Amino acid sequence: MVGELSIWTERYRPNKFEEVFGQDEIIKRVKNLTNSLNLPHMMFAGPAGTGKSTLAIIVAKELFKEYWKENYLELNASDARGIDVIRQEVKNFARTKSLGSVPFKIIFLDEADALTREAQQALRRTMENYTGTCRFILSCNYSSKIIDPIQSRCVIFRFRLLEKKEMEKIVKKIAEKEKLNIDEKATQMLYEGSEGDCRRAINLLQATSSISPIITEEIINILLSNAKPKDIRVVLDYALSGDFLKAREKLLDIMLKESTAGTDIIKSIQKEVWNLDIDPELKVKLTEKTGEVEFRLVEGSDEFVQLESLLASFVLAGLGVKN
Amino acid sequence: MLNPTTPLSEKYRPKKFSEIKNQEVAIDKIKAFVSGFNKGISQKKAVLLYGPAGTGKTTLAHVLSQELNHEIFELNSSDLRNRSKLDEVLKPSTQQHSLFSKGKVILVDEVDGVTTTDYGGLPELIVLIERTKFPIIITCNDIWQNKFSLLRSKCEMIPIKEIPYPSILEYLKEISKKENKIVNENALKEIAAKSRGDLRAALNDLQSIIYSEETEIMQQEIDLREKAQDIFNALREVFKTRIHKKTIEAYDSVEMEIDQIALWLEENIPSEYRGVELAKAFEAMSRADIFKGRIYRQQHWRFMLYQNFFLTAGISAAKGNKSLPDRFTKYNPPKRILKIWMINQKNAKKKSISGKLAELTHTSKKRAQKDFNILALITDDNTKRQMNLSEEESEYLAEKRQEVVLSLGKLSA
Repeated sequence: MVGELSIWTERYRPNKFEEVFGQDEIIKRVKNLTNSLNLPHMMFAGPAGTGKSTLAIIVAKELFKEYWKENYLELNASDARGIDVIRQEVKNFARTKSLGSVPFKIIFLDEADALTREAQQALRRTMENYTGTCRFILSCNYSSKIIDPIQSRCVIFRFRLLEKKEMEKIVKKIAEKEKLNIDEKATQMLYEGSEGDCRRAINLLQATSSISPIITEEIINILLSNAKPKDIRVVLDYALSGDFLKAREKLLDIMLKESTAGTDIIKSIQKEVWNLDIDPELKVKLTEKTGEVEFRLVEGSDEFVQLESLLASFVLAGLGVKN
Repeated sequence: MLNPTTPLSEKYRPKKFSEIKNQEVAIDKIKAFVSGFNKGISQKKAVLLYGPAGTGKTTLAHVLSQELNHEIFELNSSDLRNRSKLDEVLKPSTQQHSLFSKGKVILVDEVDGVTTTDYGGLPELIVLIERTKFPIIITCNDIWQNKFSLLRSKCEMIPIKEIPYPSILEYLKEISKKENKIVNENALKEIAAKSRGDLRAALNDLQSIIYSEETEIMQQEIDLREKAQDIFNALREVFKTRIHKKTIEAYDSVEMEIDQIALWLEENIPSEYRGVELAKAFEAMSRADIFKGRIYRQQHWRFMLYQNFFLTAGISAAKGNKSLPDRFTKYNPPKRILKIWMINQKNAKKKSISGKLAELTHTSKKRAQKDFNILALITDDNTKRQMNLSEEESEYLAEKRQEVVLSLGKLSA
């Protein structure tokens, strides 16, 4: 049996509609639908850490009470390997009847926009097949990435980022219960650093508290900068100074360590070029080359080779600066 | 200790005729030519040493000058186009010619590169031969091209043969002994056989074997090394040799997939090319990769032709229309794939832990992985129990946590 929950995002996850901060309109409507037992398929669209999973769990808890775990299946589309895995799990789960008085079970498919369009077509059929025994709640960051036939089968709820006031309330509540010492500035830093993502804010708060019971802006800041891969600038500086070998070694390290995709790397390079301390005309040339390589990433087969060719251009640009 | 940039072929270049094996006929002929020239009884004023690469043509010229105590004056094909340089060779020496001065020979090395055009230098070479007061030694690989017909008629021709297998093997044994290296006899035999009479190539191969034996070799690399001899030759051909008709066949005898060869190229381009050449070479790599992408996506196998073209001619042309100096370069096996594999092994634990954390906190594995450093800090014993971590995972998490805490200390300090 699960004992005391030590991870705060779980310990302080709301259990009832009334406990949720923010998203007031959505809560009201979903609560009414749940109470009427007339639940449609639903789609929760919105940024990470705004309460989508929380609301899905609350629906399940309200509906099934002590049997919620038996009647609720949570799947993550970005982790499950392909639609076949999802179908199989859905099939196994939907085969048995729900326990208790509610005539259906709930399947929560998180990050549904990670599925390809083909996989979504297959999902649509699965949804149709099990409508008698299951209700689907899909979550996604962007509803535009979900195919129309699925959208049209769901009631769509759009979640927005938490506002500063709402986030402050949550942080204050947790700080009180955990007996933390936190000031205005630190709260502000949590809000800015998490960019309105409540899960991230609470994780940051707990991580900070594991270092010191006094939560300061400074520690939060250090933790934040530690989590960001900022080193693209270092790669470019090596290349501009003519050290191709070091530049490519560092680049490979960054890509492997955080398993960053080449397309993400090239985005940060493109942003960074503008900040470089070089002749503006060179910036234009390098940006053009960056764009060309971004295009080739899609055409080619080996992302790293393409990025190396870009680094070689930076080496060349570096020579131009000196001459 | 052996300096890695000094080629063995340079270090053990013979200094006396007696150290040269298997070229007795050529030695006698060239000696006779020079003494005939000095006595004024020679028909021709130049001698042409021709034969395959790495057989000792240049060495022969140098040894000759040393044994006869003659000064050697070297001219390359661009010098031939340089009036003042030519005049310098011809005039001052004729004027300074005195009883006390040493004799002198002029060496025109690797005449293959010169052409008959205005930019060439071949006409100048002919003029030089007509006007010279000193014996001229010319070396050449392929003398039977049409453009050399006039030159051939002006020179005494001395063929230099390929060095036979037993002599190459003998050289290899002697030199590895002098280097205090014990190299497996079979390996030496293989090198000797593969060299096909090219002693320089054989010594370069020997050098690369001596080096790889000094470094710690991983199991994967041993397999690679078996194929390495071929790939070393092919890389040398593409990187160093001036681009020529057969450049695009460089990988034909290499028993390796083209994609694997591409990795070798990628690894070693920076050891040969810098600046503009580096950028051009990687541009060729990039283009080859685009064709590879098209092959994979469209199963359009004809595109392999273009992939190969960019990986041979494309890379070779990066240095322009010239050859690189004959300096030994140690080529390394590709490290990237091995590194990716090792990191994946390492990250396997991170992935499985992230999966368990994700399940516990209603999120995705990917997101948990992204915030792993923060999550490592908040995972206490209780949570670990709930996650059902294996002992290894538990250890890994503790290590990571330690790492994060340490890095925080450094940052705040």
